[in-house]
Amino acid sequence: MEIYQIYSLTSAILFVIGLGGVFAARHFIKKIIATIIMGGGVFLCFVSFAQRDALTFADPVPHALVITGIVVAVASAAFALALARRIYQLTGEESFTNDK
Amino acid sequence: MSILIDILLAILGVYLAMQSLLASRLSQSVFLFFAFGLALALAWVRLGAVDVAITEAAIAAGFLGVLFLDALRDFSPRDTEEQQNLTTVQNSLSRKESKSLLLPRLALVLGLGLFLLIALEAVWKIPEGGGLTAAAETLLPESGVEHPVTAVLLNFRAYDTWLEIGVILLGLLAVFAVGGIQIYRKPIAAADDPLMRQVILFFTPVLFLFGAFLLYIGKSGPGGAFQAGVLWGAIGILLHFGGIPVYSWVPRWLGHLLLTLGLVFFLLLGFLFMAAGDNLFEYPPAYAGLLILIVETLAAISIAAALTAIFANLNQMKKEQPNDTAQK
Amino acid sequence: MTELPISPYPALLVGLPILMATLSLFFRTRGEALVGLIGALLTTGLAIMAFVEVVQRGAVIHILGGWEPPLGILLRMDPLAAVFIGMTALVGVFISLYAWRYFRALETTTGGLPLFWPLWLFLWAGLNGLFLSNDLFNLFVTIEVIGICAVALAVLSGKSTALSAGLRYLLAAITGSMAYLFGVALIYGSTGTLDLGLLGQVLEPGTTTTFALLVITLGLMIKMAGFPFHFWLPPAHSSALAPVSALLSALVVKGAFYILLRLWMEVFGVSLTYAAGQFIGIAGAIAVIWGSWQAFMQTSLKLIVAHSSVAQLGYLLMVFPLLILAPGVTADSADWLSSAWTAGIYQVISHAFAKASFFLSAGIIIMALGHDRIESLRDLVGHMRITAMAIGIAGVSLIGLPPSGGFMAKWMLLKGIFLSGQWWWAPVVLAGSLLTAGYVFMLLRLAFAPAREKEPFRPVPKSLEVFALLLALGSFLIVFPADSLIQFLESSEVFGTGVESILKGGVHGNN
Repeated sequence: MEIYQIYSLTSAILFVIGLGGVFAARHFIKKIIATIIMGGGVFLCFVSFAQRDALTFADPVPHALVITGIVVAVASAAFALALARRIYQLTGEESFTNDK
Repeated sequence: MSILIDILLAILGVYLAMQSLLASRLSQSVFLFFAFGLALALAWVRLGAVDVAITEAAIAAGFLGVLFLDALRDFSPRDTEEQQNLTTVQNSLSRKESKSLLLPRLALVLGLGLFLLIALEAVWKIPEGGGLTAAAETLLPESGVEHPVTAVLLNFRAYDTWLEIGVILLGLLAVFAVGGIQIYRKPIAAADDPLMRQVILFFTPVLFLFGAFLLYIGKSGPGGAFQAGVLWGAIGILLHFGGIPVYSWVPRWLGHLLLTLGLVFFLLLGFLFMAAGDNLFEYPPAYAGLLILIVETLAAISIAAALTAIFANLNQMKKEQPNDTAQK
Repeated sequence: MTELPISPYPALLVGLPILMATLSLFFRTRGEALVGLIGALLTTGLAIMAFVEVVQRGAVIHILGGWEPPLGILLRMDPLAAVFIGMTALVGVFISLYAWRYFRALETTTGGLPLFWPLWLFLWAGLNGLFLSNDLFNLFVTIEVIGICAVALAVLSGKSTALSAGLRYLLAAITGSMAYLFGVALIYGSTGTLDLGLLGQVLEPGTTTTFALLVITLGLMIKMAGFPFHFWLPPAHSSALAPVSALLSALVVKGAFYILLRLWMEVFGVSLTYAAGQFIGIAGAIAVIWGSWQAFMQTSLKLIVAHSSVAQLGYLLMVFPLLILAPGVTADSADWLSSAWTAGIYQVISHAFAKASFFLSAGIIIMALGHDRIESLRDLVGHMRITAMAIGIAGVSLIGLPPSGGFMAKWMLLKGIFLSGQWWWAPVVLAGSLLTAGYVFMLLRLAFAPAREKEPFRPVPKSLEVFALLLALGSFLIVFPADSLIQFLESSEVFGTGVESILKGGVHGNN
C-alpha cells in the first residue's frame, strides 16, 4: 500500500461521513460542518493523487484547485452561517422544522 | 515507520470528523471541527502540499473556526435546552413512533454504507492518470514565477483564481443580503475589550509583516495571495475585537474600492492585454513576474477586506437581536 | 480543438457583467439600479453580437492566459452554448427591465433593494461562464458562483420563510457541488486532464469512471432539482421576490441541466449504459407526474408555478434515455436522436420564457392584492387584462398546446419516443400535459369568473404587465425560427461528436 492510498481511501470515508451528516444532523451548524467535512474529503482525494503523480515536485494543479476549492467552500459556509444565525434571530429555530 | 504516522493521522481525521457530528453539545462539535481542520492541515503537510496546509489552517480552520465560535455565542444557551427537550420527547415517544423514525435512519445508514463501499472501490482501483506535473514543469520558466503552485494559480489557471476572488466578494454580498438593507447601511460597532487592545498592539505588525512575507515568498515557495489575505484579514478581525471597527471607519466608497480592487484590477489588466491582441489573462513572459506580484498584492488586500467585513457583519447579527425580534 | 477561430467574445461575456456588477456597488439605490440596468443591456447586446459571430464563423474559442489545455483553461462557444447564452440574454433583459420598474415601485415601502443588481449581474456572468466553460473544475467554480448568487437573491426579501428556504437551498447546492467535485477529483486522478474535449478522447471505462459518473450525475440532479432531490425548489422559488423567482426557475436550474447534457454527451459516453438512461428517465417521469399533481393541489399562485417547475424539469430528464441506444441498434438507423436532443433544448427555452412570464405575473398580482391566494384571482380579466392574457399564453405553452414553443418541445419529444420504440414514456408526457392543463385552466376559470365581492386591486405600473406579456409571447415566437435554430444546433460539433460517443457507450454498455 502506497502512502497516497491511505489518504485517498480516507477521503472517501470523510466524504461519506459528511454526506451522512448533511442528511442526519439536525442543527444548522452541524449541517454546515458536515458540508465542510465533505469538502475536506474531496480535497484530500485531489491532493493524494497529486502526491502519487509527483516528479521533481508534486503535481501543482490539484494543489491549486484545492486552494481555490477551500476558499470557495469557506465563502459558502460563511453565507450558510449567516443564514442560520439570521433564522435563529428571527424565529428561534435552530433546525428545519419539517425535517427531510 | 512513516506509514504508521499516516495511518494514525487518517484514523484521527476520521475520528474527529465523526465526533464533531455526533457530539451532543454544539461547542464540542465546533472545537472538534477545529481540530479536524488542523489534522487535515497535517495531512496536507504529509502529502507535500504546504500551500494547501497554510490555506487550510488559515482559512478553513482559522477563519471559519472564528466564525463558528462567534456563532456559538448565539446558539449555545438554547442548544442545551433543546437537547433536554429532545431527550424528554424521545423518552416519551411511544414505541410505534420511534419505530417509524428508526426505519429511515436504518435506510440512510445502509445506503451510506453501500455508497462508501463503492466509493472505496472506485478510489482503490483508480488508474494512473499521470497528472500534469510534466506539463507544468516544462512551462514553469515562461510563467514568471518559480513556485509551481503559484504559477498554476496566477498564470496557467488565472481565470479560476480570478473567479474565486469574485466568489469571496460574493460571499460578502450574500452575507449583506441575509442581513437585509439595515446591515448593509449601518456602521458596525465592535466589541470592546481592554485586554484585547494590548494583544492587538503586539500582533498587528507581526501579522502584517508575516502576511507580506508570505505574499512575497509566494513567487518561489509556499505562500501567496490567499494566505497573505487571510493573515491581513486577521488583523481586521483582531482590531474589530479590540474595539476598533476598521470596517465602519473607512468611508463607503473606500471600503468598496478595497473590496473590489483585486477583482477589478485583475480583470482590467487582462482586458488591457486582450486589447493588445492577446488572450484574457495572458501576460508577456518578461513582465509576468512583476504583474503577478501586483495582482497578488491587490488580491490579498481585497481578500483581507472581504474577510474582515464578513466577520464584522456576522458578529453584528447577534447585537441586533432585541431590536429585530421586536420589529417582527 | 485549437484550429477553431479565436474570438474575444467568450472572455467579454464573463468579464463585462462582473465589471458592471462591481461598478454598481459604488452607487446608491437609484444610481445602482441605473448602472445595473445599463450593465444588463450591455450584456444583452454583447450576447447578441456573440451569437451572430457564432452563426457566421461557427464555434469559436478563447484560450485563457494563452495556455492550451490540459494545463490551461479553454472557453468554447459552439452553437449549443450560443443558444443558451442567447436565451439567457433575451429572458434576462426582460426580467431586468421588469426588475428595474418593480423595485422602483417598491422603493416607497422597502427603500429599494440595493443588492439585487450586483448579484444578478454576477449570476449572469456565472451563467455565461458555465455555458462557455470547457473545463471540469472551472465548471465547479461557475456553479458555485451561480449557487451563491441564486441563494443570496432568493433571500433578499429578508422574510424568515425565505431565509429558511434559502438555507435549505444552499445546503442542497453545496452538497450537490461537493458530490460533483468528488467525481471531478476521480476523473482528474485517472486521466490527468480536466478539459472536456480531451477527456472525451482519453477517458477509459472502469469502476472509477462509473462511480465518477454516478456522483457527478447525482450532484447535478440535486442542483437541477431532479426527482427525488426536488424538495428544496418549491419553497425557495415561491418565497423569493418576483423577478428573482423568474430568474431562478427560468435560468438557474437550466445551468445544471446544461452541464449534465454536455458531460453525458461529450465525456461519459464510454460508461453510459441503457439502464442508466432508463433510470434517469424514470426520475424525470416521476417528477412530471408528481410535480404536476402537487401544482394542481396548491392554493397559492407562486406555489403552483414553483411545483410546475419540478414537473417541467422532469421533461428534460426524460430526454436522456432516448439518447442512449438499445442493444443492437446502430447509429444510422437511430433517426430520432436529433429530435430527442432538440426537444430538450426547446423545452429549456420555452420553459424559460413561459415560467419567467408566469412568475412575473404572480409578482404583479401580489403587488396588486398583497397576497397570491388563487381564489382572489376572480375577475382578474376585468381588472388586469394584460396580466390575465400573459398567464393564459404562458399557461398554454406550459401545457404544450399548438402553436407554442412548449408544443414544439413535447411534440418532438413524443416523436423521439415513438421512433426510438421506448413507447412507455408517451403516457407520462400526455398525463403531464393533462395535469398541467388542469391547473392552468383552473387559474383561467377563476380569472374569468365574476368577483363575489370587491377585492381591492391596487394600481400596478402598466409596463410591468407589458414585460410579463412580452415574455409569454416569446414562448410562442420561438416556434418561428425553429427550422433554422435546429439546423444551427445540428451544425454544432458537439452535436455530432456527442451523439457518436453516446452510441459507442450504448453498445459498450451492453456488450
